[in-house]
Amino acid sequence: MNNKRPLAIAADPARRQATLGLLLAGTLLIFAQSVLANTPTIRLFPTTVVEDLKQTGNVARDMETGLQEVIGRLDQQQQLYVESKCDGAENDAGCQRLARQIGATYLDMLTIMEERLPDMEHTVNNTRISLERGLRNELGKKMTPWQLQETLIGKTATSTPAQSSPTLRGRSGMRLSERFRQYYQLVATSGSQSDQSLAVLASDIYLDMEETSVLIERTRQEIARATLMEQLNQSFGIITPEMMEVVGGVKTILFGDEDARALVAGPPPGSVEQAYRSPLEQ
Amino acid sequence: MNSQDLTSTFRIFVMIAGLMTISACASNEPGCPSPQTRNLDSAISFVKTSLNSGCEAHFDRYYDDLLTIAEGDPKPENKRIFSEFLLWSGDQGLLSTRQAQEYYNRFFNVKFMSMKGDYNNCSHTCPNKQRVLFDMERELSDKERGLLRVSEDRDGYYRADRLYQEVELVLEATCTACAASR
Repeated sequence: MNNKRPLAIAADPARRQATLGLLLAGTLLIFAQSVLANTPTIRLFPTTVVEDLKQTGNVARDMETGLQEVIGRLDQQQQLYVESKCDGAENDAGCQRLARQIGATYLDMLTIMEERLPDMEHTVNNTRISLERGLRNELGKKMTPWQLQETLIGKTATSTPAQSSPTLRGRSGMRLSERFRQYYQLVATSGSQSDQSLAVLASDIYLDMEETSVLIERTRQEIARATLMEQLNQSFGIITPEMMEVVGGVKTILFGDEDARALVAGPPPGSVEQAYRSPLEQ
Repeated sequence: MNSQDLTSTFRIFVMIAGLMTISACASNEPGCPSPQTRNLDSAISFVKTSLNSGCEAHFDRYYDDLLTIAEGDPKPENKRIFSEFLLWSGDQGLLSTRQAQEYYNRFFNVKFMSMKGDYNNCSHTCPNKQRVLFDMERELSDKERGLLRVSEDRDGYYRADRLYQEVELVLEATCTACAASR
């Protein structure tokens, strides 16, 4: 026995048409909702990047802690050298002893850096490579220039609040560990940020990593050379201007440049009021 | 001096006079003068009449004249006035839709028309990065005119300025990443 009832929509053609129309509209609505819900967001910060940034921040902090004491000692020794009027009295036995002490501390500094830099290099490179892959695929290969522009400007060109910009251009004047801590915090909370902020943030961090990576590589090469030079100088008790330059450079990189201040983009002046939209607007 | 010499001298004189007349016509263009009024609506009416009277080749100059006149009385309303003028130009067949969009967006939109293309950034934008940025910089000065000086849309102009800086940064990073894979 067949108990199945014929579908109601089959009975009356007008009703059938109306019902089909409703069904079609419903289907379209569901489809539109699912499309909106699944709007692809750019994936620039996989969890590995977050972890790498955290790790790099920790390594940088360890290096700073280790070097702070040595650099403090170097400063004191240098001050003593100047106060003892050793400049121009290099042949004096006391001054030579002071110069050797300074040289030995300088070697300590180089040794600490040599020990810590490989870890730093490793984590920085990991972050750089992950970001590089993300930027290449998400912004470089999946987007046209117009799409990139739309991503940066957001859905509505005129209502993007300036304060959402996480731009960190101008990074000097900041401790290395602080810099990575800030990056980590920004990236760790990136879920709450819009795509346009993420693209700028990822680009900023990537370029910084690229620069840092080159700097670390050069520093490692220089350390090997400077260590050899200083070992030779130890026998003569000479303070070279280069030595002071290196110490100054390390202080700037690690602890920041006092003169420089981080530049953060301010909100644009002017009113937010913007009403007219031309049909020609794209 | 014989008569043959006189004839050739006269011919040269006539040729020079003719050339001078032609160049004078070209610089004054008596048939397609610029609007003299400082009122934007009147100027647009004038330009429309001129464009419909055989001066369509002077569209660029007229558009520039209208922008200059609008700079004298900047207001947000000007965006709509220019949009309607461009739509009218499209309807009259003076401009294609794409041209009308280009004229409007280059001056009155935050987004950059110089940042367009159908191919991905690695293959299309990165090899021409310097040129793209140079074109954007030029477009930014047009936006300064359209958004800031004509429409008093400071917010829009500063957003365009920031967008330019962001594009510069993001392109630098993206293109470095694209190049690293090669």
